[in-house]
Amino acid sequence: MTHITENTSLPAGTVMAAAGAAARAIPPVWPLASSVAVNPFLGQTGETLAETGARLARVAGLPVTMPREWYLSRLEAGRITDADLEAALAASCHAARPASVSDLKEAAARPRRRPHALPTVAEMASDHCGLDWPGLVADRVSQWAASFFDTGQALWKAPKRRGAYAEWRAVATHDLTPEIHGLEGFAAHVAEAPEHAEDAIARAASRLGLVDAALPTYFHQLLMTMGGWAQYARYQLWQAELGGGTDPVVTEMLAIRLLWEEALFIQYEEAILHRWERVRASHAAPLAPSEDLVVDEILQEAAERAAQREIAATLATQPPAPATERPSLQAAFCIDVRSEVFRRALESVDPGIETLGFAGFFGLATKHRGFASDVEELRLPVLLNPGVCSVAGGPEIEEADRQARFTARAKRAWGRFKFAAVSSFAFVEAMGPVYAGRLVRDALGLEEGKLPDGPAPRLDPALSLSERVGAAETVLRAMSLTEGFGRIVLLAGHGANVTNNPHASAYHCGACGGYSGEVNARLLAALLNDPEVRQGVAAKGIEIPGDTLFVAALHDTTTDTVKLYEADIDAGQHKALLGDVKGWLAKAGRVARAERALRLPRAAGEAEVAARARDWAEVRPEWALAGCRAFIAAPRTRTGGRSLEGRAFLHNYDWRADEGFGVLELIMTAPVVVASWISLQYYGSTVAPQAFGGGNKLLHNVTGGIGVVEGNGGLMRAGLPWQAVHDGEGLAHEPLRLSVCIEAPREAMSDILKRHDGVRALFDNRWLHLFALDEAGQVAWRYTGDLEWEAVEGVARPGPVLKAVG
Amino acid sequence: MDVFSIPLLAPAALIAAAIAAFMNPGGRPGLVPRLAEGTAIAAFGVAVVSLLVLLTQGAGTGVVAGVATRLDPVSVTMLLLVSFVGWVVLRYTATYLDGEARQGAFTGWMALTLAAVLLFVQAGSLAVFVSAFIATSVFLARLLLFYPERVQAQRAARKKFVTARLGDASLIAAAVLLYTGYGTGDIGEILAAARVGVAPDAALWAAGFLALAALLKSAQFPTHGWLTEVMETPTPVSALLHAGVINAGGFLLIRFADVMVLAPGVLAVLVMIGGFTALFGGLVMLTQPAVKTSLAWSTVAQMGFMILQCGLALFPLALLHIVAHSLYKAHAFLASGMAVEGVAATRRPGPVAVPSGGAVLRAFVAALVIYAAVGFGFGFDGKSPQAIALGAILIFGVAYLLAQGFADAAPTVLTQRTALMSVAASVAYFALQTGAEALMAGTLPATPVPGPLEWALIVLAVISFGAVAVAQAMFPLWAYHPAAAGLRVHLANGLYMNAVFDRILGGWHIRRID
Repeated sequence: MTHITENTSLPAGTVMAAAGAAARAIPPVWPLASSVAVNPFLGQTGETLAETGARLARVAGLPVTMPREWYLSRLEAGRITDADLEAALAASCHAARPASVSDLKEAAARPRRRPHALPTVAEMASDHCGLDWPGLVADRVSQWAASFFDTGQALWKAPKRRGAYAEWRAVATHDLTPEIHGLEGFAAHVAEAPEHAEDAIARAASRLGLVDAALPTYFHQLLMTMGGWAQYARYQLWQAELGGGTDPVVTEMLAIRLLWEEALFIQYEEAILHRWERVRASHAAPLAPSEDLVVDEILQEAAERAAQREIAATLATQPPAPATERPSLQAAFCIDVRSEVFRRALESVDPGIETLGFAGFFGLATKHRGFASDVEELRLPVLLNPGVCSVAGGPEIEEADRQARFTARAKRAWGRFKFAAVSSFAFVEAMGPVYAGRLVRDALGLEEGKLPDGPAPRLDPALSLSERVGAAETVLRAMSLTEGFGRIVLLAGHGANVTNNPHASAYHCGACGGYSGEVNARLLAALLNDPEVRQGVAAKGIEIPGDTLFVAALHDTTTDTVKLYEADIDAGQHKALLGDVKGWLAKAGRVARAERALRLPRAAGEAEVAARARDWAEVRPEWALAGCRAFIAAPRTRTGGRSLEGRAFLHNYDWRADEGFGVLELIMTAPVVVASWISLQYYGSTVAPQAFGGGNKLLHNVTGGIGVVEGNGGLMRAGLPWQAVHDGEGLAHEPLRLSVCIEAPREAMSDILKRHDGVRALFDNRWLHLFALDEAGQVAWRYTGDLEWEAVEGVARPGPVLKAVG
Repeated sequence: MDVFSIPLLAPAALIAAAIAAFMNPGGRPGLVPRLAEGTAIAAFGVAVVSLLVLLTQGAGTGVVAGVATRLDPVSVTMLLLVSFVGWVVLRYTATYLDGEARQGAFTGWMALTLAAVLLFVQAGSLAVFVSAFIATSVFLARLLLFYPERVQAQRAARKKFVTARLGDASLIAAAVLLYTGYGTGDIGEILAAARVGVAPDAALWAAGFLALAALLKSAQFPTHGWLTEVMETPTPVSALLHAGVINAGGFLLIRFADVMVLAPGVLAVLVMIGGFTALFGGLVMLTQPAVKTSLAWSTVAQMGFMILQCGLALFPLALLHIVAHSLYKAHAFLASGMAVEGVAATRRPGPVAVPSGGAVLRAFVAALVIYAAVGFGFGFDGKSPQAIALGAILIFGVAYLLAQGFADAAPTVLTQRTALMSVAASVAYFALQTGAEALMAGTLPATPVPGPLEWALIVLAVISFGAVAVAQAMFPLWAYHPAAAGLRVHLANGLYMNAVFDRILGGWHIRRID
């Protein structure tokens, strides 16, 4: 190997700062066992869509908006009007924007140039020698990372004690593959590499002749070439930082990828140096959105404004008269868009029913240990640290717990018998024929789907009375539920009932950390049924009538059935009413299923929806949050009686009862942010599925128990599978950034934005749109950024009625 | 048409479904998915009727329009198996592929591949046998390249193509030699002649080529690589491949078992290659973090074990293995989406109790005691030494289950349960083996008395499987030692066979756009 490059020297601090920034430029991905939606543009929320487009084009060749035809067809259909274009153009902050609407239309009609990433060294080497080096590097990195991050698929685990970089070096110095394919001396190169990742990064950066301005996008690009593996490392960093620590794993991944670049550079230096000089200069050049990107951003904004007209029109229709009598049933559901359909159905069943919307973890951020389990489940929004700990059941179930563990361990031993080297032959010879029965059972979907049950959870350690009272008061105020309690108050978490689906947790409750929501609901119901707690909150001005019973429930979003946790409560005088409640829920389920069946492929009617839950071949059991486009925080009267088409997050909020706007602050900094993650995950998985989508479900191969790869292996895929946003004929999700409508004084919202830079960036750069509803619940004010608002015109103008799928 | 041609209706039904599918090759092709499933059910019905014919009329060969079909316990077993698995995968396909742009074409190739396999297992003449064998592989290749733009799929297909064509050539050579040797293309007649000891030189060569074709078809070392890389296509293809197609190698050895036993040297080679592949595949499987890849390596190992059984002339047991493995593996692939939950479930009940050396020793002794007890229950006399040795190998596997329960940290209840499961597993497979032998008696040749070579191989097999079983049981005690780290890397890469193969075939070269 010859070294003819001039070495630059960069201060170690600069290099590591760039590496740290690159780590934060990629989104984290949670393991599939408890996955939540993540905003794929999390690292770019400080930039506008067009600026992000410029960055992601450079580092990964990604588009950040739909193809032009998508917008053009909406223009032609009249769904986007000239007024929308005009308004979107006027709102654009970019210098490169078209001068007029007609210029904009002209520009929109031209096909945009496909974004191209700058080549990596691996790509240049590949262009030179014809061998697929980027593919090989991805293959080798993936082969190692899959083993390193494995959480229990392989019986013979890869060592991971010493951290990513050291363990990778141990593997790479043994792996003969690179040399078989012609990368001479790679194992030696790795063996001689610096012992610490930081030094390896600094050495490679300097050998590649990079100046400090070139580092950010180059490092970002290298992390992007490692797809979901780098994002999984980013998740580990996220968790560490949430706990107040840090984790070098992303940086170590970067070092690994840089060692490959360095080795390829050394081997092909003479052939690629000239080109590389231009590429690294391009990396050092400042990012500026092209005219194409600015036009795209304006078109996207126009499409969103069109949708906002529709939302405003829905809110402008006359609401039904609010009920004046005390409700027999109050049912609180998660803000999840799927709840909207069910709540509307439930309210239509009986006038004595009132529903509420609140984040599905019901304010109890619990670290939970399930029945017969050692695993600590973080059933809370991933932005938070756990506030309480809980376990399933008390001392009375100890024996049952032990027996269940024996059964689970025996089952596990049997599983290992099945997979181990020699015993797998004995297993097949002895048990193979049994699988004929299992094939029949699963082919016909004969196995009953069970919703989570088990002993009632309890807080462990238990909270003192004052802590319990405090928690109860906080939650009730956050729910804006401080008076008018019904006789039965249902607290319904939600979960999906799917089988053989690696992405099952993506259908569960995001606010519960990707678990189903029954644990949090049961904990809160127990808390609020406690007479001592009721006394305590009464002293704080929240009078819960003695005949109010809180009942925990789980809304199965796949089948629209609701399971009540009756064993937790003493129904007593509520027995008859509880019977009515079950009847109402069953009726509402039928109504909700009938509505959902219209959107689902191969579901002719209500009766065919439930079977999808048990079909092991079903790739679209339900649509989850596809289609989401609005977040409304207001009293239910503002939205009741109208169809929001299962596309709106609904959060109960009454600002008049919110002294000091503490609840508003909570809503804007937690549920709104979570909703933005969901909305933008759908957005990213739709506009850039190649990088931010989970790929084709038909090819999914579960890796390490944490993620999926497509086919044989390769990069782990984060984001939603294509089948989750597309029904086979068209998109099931319209990629629109979320419109957040809050009934609250503008000054209060501005004040909160002023104090929360991260949240403000989301609105200022329009990753979210913010609207203030007026006294009558009409969309009245639009937040235009920089703490400014403008009046929304033509509130009552009815727009065309929009079908749920675009 | 005589009754022995009835099985021909099974492939005919699926071909009809395939034609309908190819007429609607696109997405959401109307009734095609249900029609395909319906014809698979019909094919299963045909297999059941064939069984009735066999029970009432005995074995025989029928000819319709020059297509000879053989109806005997071996073919009926395979017909039942393949049509059943075919029903399951086509039913799965109907839902799984919904909304896919080329769902109709996919369904068509699935039906056609199944038809070819159904024809292959009932072939009554060499011509039908060879044609169906080649057709299976050609149709399957279309399914493996269902996403033709995927470079990984192309890379695997290239390796598969080379292996498959070599396999085809070997089988053609074997067929030609058999025809020359016995002067007939009728498989029933060839087998009958071989059974009474007619052993022309050509037949011995034919046995060699049959063995070669089987090794190539059933992904034996070192040509196993393609099998571990063909998950580049929708899951039902993997299920069909691993349950219905890959065991064609074993089936052809079983079909020509009477010829194979004439060539002990060839059988010895099968023992060595099959045994090595079984251990190699099993060890590599342990290192694989992705579920389908792990299942593919498991198939490599299982096919190795099945070839080992053929090499030991334990043909009824090999057939049992094919049936048992197919059912298990079809289910495992189709249910592979459960892996996330599966891994999560293993973490819940706390750490695994690691058995010490003493516990492992006790487990092996206990396993041998179980073996002796169950063996005497079923009767050792009349069993060939080969069968007894195979039983010992399997009991080593059971010892692993026992060892987990014997670990010092394991609670008594766990010890009892694993012991109970061990006994149940032992009884189950002895019962199944006895049943298989009884069903195939008279159809498949008896295991010959071992000579010195066979004895040597038996001892070698028992020792090497025993050694791996002990290593496996003591796994956590050594596998994480730094000295084993390098071994793990080499095994995880399948000893680089694919890398070398790719390099030779230029698998990583990119098609230049300019």
